[in-house]
Amino acid sequence: MTMAERRSRRGGTSGKVAALLTATLIAGPALAQETTVNFLGANSLDWYAPVIEAFEAAHPDITIAYQRVPFEDLNAAIEARIGQGDSSIDIFEADTPRVPALAWRGYLAPLESRRAEIEAAVPNPVDIEQVSHEGTLFAYPMWSSTQLLYYNRDLLDAAGVRAPAAAPAERLTWAELLEKARAAQEAGAEWGVLVQQVDRYYQLQPLFESSGAGPGLTGDGLLEPAVDTDAWIETARWYADLFEDGIAPRGIAPSQTDDLFINGQLAFMIGGPWVLGRYMSAEGLDFGVAPVPYFEGGEPVTPTGAWALGINPGAANKEAAKTFAEFVTLTAEGSYLSISQAPFPPTNAEARQRYIADMAQLASQIGPIHAVMEYELGNTAVGRPRTIGYVAFETIMNRTFSDIRNGADVAEMLEQTQNRLGRAMSRLR
Amino acid sequence: MSARNRLYAALIFLGPALLAVILLRIWPAFDAVHQSLLAPRATRYGFENYIFILTDPVFQNSLWTTLIYSLIVNPLQIAIALALALLMNVAVRLIRFWRTLILLPVAIPQSVSAVIWGVALRPDGPVNAMLVAIGLEEQRFLTSPDQALASVILIVSWIGVGYWMMFLLAGLQDIPKSLYEAVRIDGANRLQQFWYVTLPQLRRPLTFVLVANTVANFLVFAPVQILTQGGPQGSTNLIMNEIYTLAFVAGDPASAAAATVILVSVVLLVVIVQFRMMSAPEDRQR
Repeated sequence: MTMAERRSRRGGTSGKVAALLTATLIAGPALAQETTVNFLGANSLDWYAPVIEAFEAAHPDITIAYQRVPFEDLNAAIEARIGQGDSSIDIFEADTPRVPALAWRGYLAPLESRRAEIEAAVPNPVDIEQVSHEGTLFAYPMWSSTQLLYYNRDLLDAAGVRAPAAAPAERLTWAELLEKARAAQEAGAEWGVLVQQVDRYYQLQPLFESSGAGPGLTGDGLLEPAVDTDAWIETARWYADLFEDGIAPRGIAPSQTDDLFINGQLAFMIGGPWVLGRYMSAEGLDFGVAPVPYFEGGEPVTPTGAWALGINPGAANKEAAKTFAEFVTLTAEGSYLSISQAPFPPTNAEARQRYIADMAQLASQIGPIHAVMEYELGNTAVGRPRTIGYVAFETIMNRTFSDIRNGADVAEMLEQTQNRLGRAMSRLR
Repeated sequence: MSARNRLYAALIFLGPALLAVILLRIWPAFDAVHQSLLAPRATRYGFENYIFILTDPVFQNSLWTTLIYSLIVNPLQIAIALALALLMNVAVRLIRFWRTLILLPVAIPQSVSAVIWGVALRPDGPVNAMLVAIGLEEQRFLTSPDQALASVILIVSWIGVGYWMMFLLAGLQDIPKSLYEAVRIDGANRLQQFWYVTLPQLRRPLTFVLVANTVANFLVFAPVQILTQGGPQGSTNLIMNEIYTLAFVAGDPASAAAATVILVSVVLLVVIVQFRMMSAPEDRQR
C-alpha cells in the first residue's frame, strides 16, 4: 500500500480529496515514497559510486544500496536469494553469457516492453543479442569488453627487446611474445607474461578459439561438452607450461595479478581496459599497449561481453530499479559515469563516442589504445557460448584451469572435466 | 492446578521452542526428502536423483574423501583435546593463562581463521618462510592435491581442539579425588589410574565430545569453501562442499537434496553406532 493510499483510508472527505490530489500529482505509485533499491553485484562500489551519486541527485526519492559479494559467490547469491523468491534484491549484475541461464531459470524479468527505448540508446544488434534469450530481452546492456596486451617499457628496454607494435596487422604470435618475455626475464624481470584473470574462462577462451580448439561446447543448445579433444589438450598444455617453465607464477589469485605488473615484476600482462585506472596512476610504471597475440596458423581472437543489469522478477521495487537501470544504461550521462572508474567500453552509443575520444587522448602516452580497441571489438571479438548451461560450464572450467595452472596432469584433468560437464549438462536437457 | 491447566502452561512455555524446531528442523528435513525424490522436471516421485549422484564419480569421490577425513580428524582432535585437558588439569604456574591460550582460537570465527591460515600457507607465505629458515624444503600445502586435505585437517583442528578440551577438562574436574586415593592405596600406578579411574569416569563428556565433534566435522564447510573450493583436483571436496556445488554452482537443487538426505542418514548412523559403543555395560543390561 502506498502512502497516498494509506492516507486516503485514514482521512475523512477532505482527507480523500487531498489524497486524490496527491496521487494525481505524483507520477508512479512506487515512486511516491522514499524507496531503497537494493543492488547486488560483484564489482567494486567505487565503480558505481559516481553514477549512483548522480542518479540519487536526480531522483531524491530513490536511494541505491549496493551489496557486494565476491565474484566467485555471485551465482550462489543469485541462486540462494532470487531463486528462493527473496524480494529484497531489486537489481543485480548479470554477466552477459549468463543471461540465457538466468532467464531460463526465471531469475530475470523480461524487458520486451522497453525494447524501443533500449534499442534507441544501444543500436548495435550484437549488444542486444548479448542480453537476450530466445529472442526476448532480459537485461539492460551496460558495458562491453575487450582485451589488450600491456607491456612494461622499462623491463623491455633493459633487455633490449623491441616493444610490440600497436597496429593489428603486426600483431605478435604467442611464440614471438614468449621469446620477448624470456628475454625480459633473463634481463631481470621476475615474471614474463600473465593473463590477468589467470583461471577464468573469459580470458582463456580466446586461447582455445585462436588455436582452433573451439569454445568447449557443441551440440544442440550448446549443451555437449568438448574439452577432451586433442586440440584442447594441446592448448591447455601450452598454458600449463607457462607456469611449469616459470614464465608465469603459480598459486596467485586473479585479484593479486595487477600488483605484479604495477610493481614492475611482470613484463607482459593480458588485461581488459578496466585496469587502466590503476596502471595510469601507478608511480614509476611506464607501459604501452598492443593487440593480444594469436597462435600461428590460427585466427586472432579476443573475448567480449561484460556486465549487464538484470531486474529481479520478484523485486519489491521493480519500477524504481528499472528507473535506475535505465539511467545507468540508456542515458549518455549515466552510461559515461558508470565507466568513469573502470573504463569498460559502454554499450550506450553516445557514451561510447565520448569514451573512444577519451581513450584517444591517452595515445601519446601508451599508444593508440582507442584504435586497437575499436579494431578488436569490430573484428576479433568472440562471445562466450550462449547456453542455459553456461553458469555451470564456466564455474567448472574455472576450477579446471586453476588445477591445470597449479600443476595437475592436463589430459587427465580435461577428461575428468569432460565427464563432470557431461553429467551437469545432462540435468539441464 | 489441574492436569489440563498444567498441560496448557507447559504448551505455552514450550510453544516457541516447538514451533522453532518444526519450522527450522522438521519442515526443512521433510522438504529435502520431498525435493530429493523429484527429478528435474519430473511430476512423480522416483529415485532418479539418488541413482544420478550415487553413480557420479565426483560424488563418490566426495563421499570417500569425507570418510577418510572423518577417520583421521575425529580421533586426532579428541586425542589432542584429551591430552591437553589432562595437561591443563594439573596444577602448574599460570594455568589460567595456558587454558585461555588454548581456548582462544575458538573465539575467532571459522571463516576468519580460514583466511588467516590461507595467507600463512600460501606458497610464498610465512609458514614456508619458517620451513626454509630451519633448513627444510618449501611445501605446496593448499595447492597440492597430496597436502591440501592434511592442511584443512590442521586448520579445523587448530580451531576445534581448544573447544573440545574445555568439555573434557570440566569432566576431569568432576572426578572425585577419593577414587584416585582409593586406587593408589590398592597400588595402582599412573597409567592404571588413568585407565581404571579417569577414562571410565570421563565416559559421559567423552561421548558428548565424540558425537558432537563427529557431527561438526561432517558438516565442515567454511574453511573448504574459502581455501580450496574442493580442489586441487577434488582432494578436499568434502560432502558439504559437494552439496553446495550441486545446489548453487551446477544449479541442480534436486541432486543437492538427495545428497543432503544421504549425508543426514550417514551422520545419524554413525552417531547411533557411537552411542552404542560408548554406553556402559550396566546401561546396556537395563
